[in-house]
Amino acid sequence: LGACRVSLSMTEIRAGFTAIKANIQSRDPIRTLSILSHPQSLHKVKSPDRCCITHHLFTFYVDKVFKHCRTEDSFVNRKISSIANSFLSARRKLGQCHEQNNCACGEKSTEKIKQILENYEGLNVTSAAMKSLGELDILLDWMEKSR
Amino acid sequence: SGELYCSLPNPRNVHFESINMKNVLHWSAPEGTGDGVLYKVKYAVYGVGKWIRKPECRNINRTWCDLSSETSDYEEQYYASVKAFLNGTCSDWVETTRFNPLTDTKIDPPMVSVSSTDKSISIVLTAPEKWKRSPEEESIPLLQVYPGLEYNVSVLNKKTKKRWFFSIKNNTLVVPWLEPGTAYCVSAQIHITTPVLDSSFSKEHCIATLKDK
Repeated sequence: LGACRVSLSMTEIRAGFTAIKANIQSRDPIRTLSILSHPQSLHKVKSPDRCCITHHLFTFYVDKVFKHCRTEDSFVNRKISSIANSFLSARRKLGQCHEQNNCACGEKSTEKIKQILENYEGLNVTSAAMKSLGELDILLDWMEKSR
Repeated sequence: SGELYCSLPNPRNVHFESINMKNVLHWSAPEGTGDGVLYKVKYAVYGVGKWIRKPECRNINRTWCDLSSETSDYEEQYYASVKAFLNGTCSDWVETTRFNPLTDTKIDPPMVSVSSTDKSISIVLTAPEKWKRSPEEESIPLLQVYPGLEYNVSVLNKKTKKRWFFSIKNNTLVVPWLEPGTAYCVSAQIHITTPVLDSSFSKEHCIATLKDK
């Protein structure tokens, strides 16, 4: 991820998300708004400081998304906490690297992160968190494409 | 057609079927309706405000609609929806789940070509291309779409029934130290590590090594 190399089991996270994708996305009735890809698709962000965006997005998911995504389905909850744990450990490593390698945030990345938080704040917490979780594949697709 | 009161049963099982990102919407006719049902289709880019009608799939009596062109940007995600009409009445719009062309497509097996010497066979694999609007359009290799694309190759000695498996990243493989004058059969599969997407294995391509000089 740019200057930082963080090991992250994408296959495991992918498998976990795929198992609950239909369930989570069906809880998000708002088709016309995206948290990660509004107004511009996350993929369109061709940013050199990828490590900065990734670090902020991991922080966003750990601090603002996973904790607000409890459901009545224990299978779904288990998958969510497994994904959350993977993000937590990756964020910790990315944070350490952040300090050592000055994972700088350029203007474009800062603007994109600000937009994501605004999109999130624009909905009530549960809707915003569920929508963000339902968009996890957008983040994973972007991370893999820009490996 | 004048849409009176929508009392028609809904189309069922509305879903995308996608192969190499040729994305076709499919559905089943509403329960209990015979011939004569017509349909119209719309689609939306996830996160963008509006539904867009598909003119080529307006008042159609078939139960599929090719939306490959409309969903060709695989960095976006999509919804599609179908409505049925019969004798002046209609059904509700019925939507798909969210469709991600990158993860929700199936991949065809690679094309396999083989050649041989007396003690080795050479294998060249060609992955399918991403669907494109017309033959003239520039091809997008799947390797560009999926950087993690690999090949699993199976080689079978027809005489001894011994089989080898290889996992390779590039698309060529030379299998050395084989027996002269022996038939070998090769089959290959595309394996994408993440998102996990595996093609089926190709049909077998058999070739004999040359006899000893």
